[in-house]
Amino acid sequence: MWKRRTAYILLLPLAGVTVLLTLACGSVLAQSLGYVPAFGLTRLTLDYYWAALSKPEFFPALLVSLRTALLSAAAASVLGTGLCAALVRRGARGMAVHLVRLPILVPHTVTALFAILLLGQTGLLARTAYFLGIISDFSQFPQLLFTPGYGGTILAYLWKEVPFVAYFTLALMAGVSSTLGEAAENLGASPLRAFFTVTLPLSLPAVSQAFLIIFLFAFGGYELPLLLGATSPKALPVYAHLAYMSPELRQRPAAMALYGVILLLSAAMAALYGILTRRLLRRIGGGV
Amino acid sequence: MRKKSLFSRLALGTAAACILLPVCLLVFWSVTARWSWPSLLPERWSLRTLRELFFGSQNLWQLLGSSVALGGAAAAVSTAIGLFAARAVALYDFPGKSLVRFAWLLPLLVPGPVFAVGIHLTLLRIGLADTISGVLLVHVTASLPYSAAILTDVTAALGGGLEEQAALLGANPVQAFFAGSLPGLMPGILSSLSMSFILSYSQYFTTLIVGGGRVKTLALTLVPYIQGGDRSLASSYALAFTGSALLVFVVFEAFIHRGRKGDGGI
Repeated sequence: MWKRRTAYILLLPLAGVTVLLTLACGSVLAQSLGYVPAFGLTRLTLDYYWAALSKPEFFPALLVSLRTALLSAAAASVLGTGLCAALVRRGARGMAVHLVRLPILVPHTVTALFAILLLGQTGLLARTAYFLGIISDFSQFPQLLFTPGYGGTILAYLWKEVPFVAYFTLALMAGVSSTLGEAAENLGASPLRAFFTVTLPLSLPAVSQAFLIIFLFAFGGYELPLLLGATSPKALPVYAHLAYMSPELRQRPAAMALYGVILLLSAAMAALYGILTRRLLRRIGGGV
Repeated sequence: MRKKSLFSRLALGTAAACILLPVCLLVFWSVTARWSWPSLLPERWSLRTLRELFFGSQNLWQLLGSSVALGGAAAAVSTAIGLFAARAVALYDFPGKSLVRFAWLLPLLVPGPVFAVGIHLTLLRIGLADTISGVLLVHVTASLPYSAAILTDVTAALGGGLEEQAALLGANPVQAFFAGSLPGLMPGILSSLSMSFILSYSQYFTTLIVGGGRVKTLALTLVPYIQGGDRSLASSYALAFTGSALLVFVVFEAFIHRGRKGDGGI
């Protein structure tokens, strides 16, 4: 009944999507290398990359994007793992799980509005600080939004991604905890020791996957840095979009070079992740 | 094991406060007429923004209708493609399975803006740029990793046994699927539908680029309001946006729960 040919037919639509995705990346790379037949450009060249990389706005934009992505992903992974452990301790179901799912369902644009209402200098936190007598004027409240540090952007990512890590890891950690974790406790390990020596290492595959997903998402993220970031330096995707919208069509390959950089760095990061996790998981014995 | 340790109480309490505080703040702002520094509570309430929302210049109902329709269509297509792929991987034996898993994770690895800009170029060539079909295709691609992952889990857990029995009793493959496996797969199908719906509903950059300004969704309409200074109006749009998304999600969840109670016989 389970003929191999049927499997291939079932995979055709997915193959279609994959082809489309590959074509999309291919077109970006082709244009970034100067291949735009519509404009009469057919000679392949790296000039557009050199030009894009030597612009004074480029490196600050790259650094801001890398920093935002790294801090968001790292903090979300740590806090999300803690939240997941708390959920597991409470039996991993019920109201708490529904609540943790809520931020995953809220669009990023709305999260940006949350940040403006809560973290801005006239936001609720600043008002609370004034009410408690910590500050006497709103200008004393630390500026988090629209600053080169991208603090507001990172906090907005955390609001969405800490629950994402917790939810993403929940099934695996609940499974490990109720079997091997409990065995360790029955053999005399304290709950803390059982968590750090058994449950956590065995849950790391899920945590590290979540880390990569968030890192790549935040590195390529457009909405939050657009709505909460500084005018200078801009995050790389915002900077690239500005170049892309330039009315000068001859500038198109230069904009595509910026997208090419985003694509190649993401691919490099995913590859690096693949190598590092394989090693790490082998060392701590968590790889299955 | 349900131990109520201090740690889990503290962690869940903090998480609940952090999650709910901005949501409540949004609700407050959406019905605020005046809330100046440094008041902790709005000084005057008003339904101005809600009037603007429902009867204002933007046609909310039309926008809501087209966004929900687009999200629904994207959810259906993504779930269908995901289900096909899930069946292939979970029930059939063939070389190159890890390649298939890589293929459906690809949309998570390719950065959103690169994907949007690149697919716009590709769609320009086949005449689908700046159309609803083009946007649909992009939304489907974005939600496929989630659909495929959810559906592979349920398909693998259910196995092919019930379909084999149905086939032995004379059902053709289609009948065997509908009678044997579909009821058991229903919870997974529904959660794939609701997850893809939410993902399509919240797409901003992809719709902006691939729709070329001709496809309007609620997500696109919201952003200028956030960038503008009217916090109350932005909040009421955000509330309508998030509220409608959650409503659709809750309806799907209700079906999943009813389904679980209903098929107690299996």
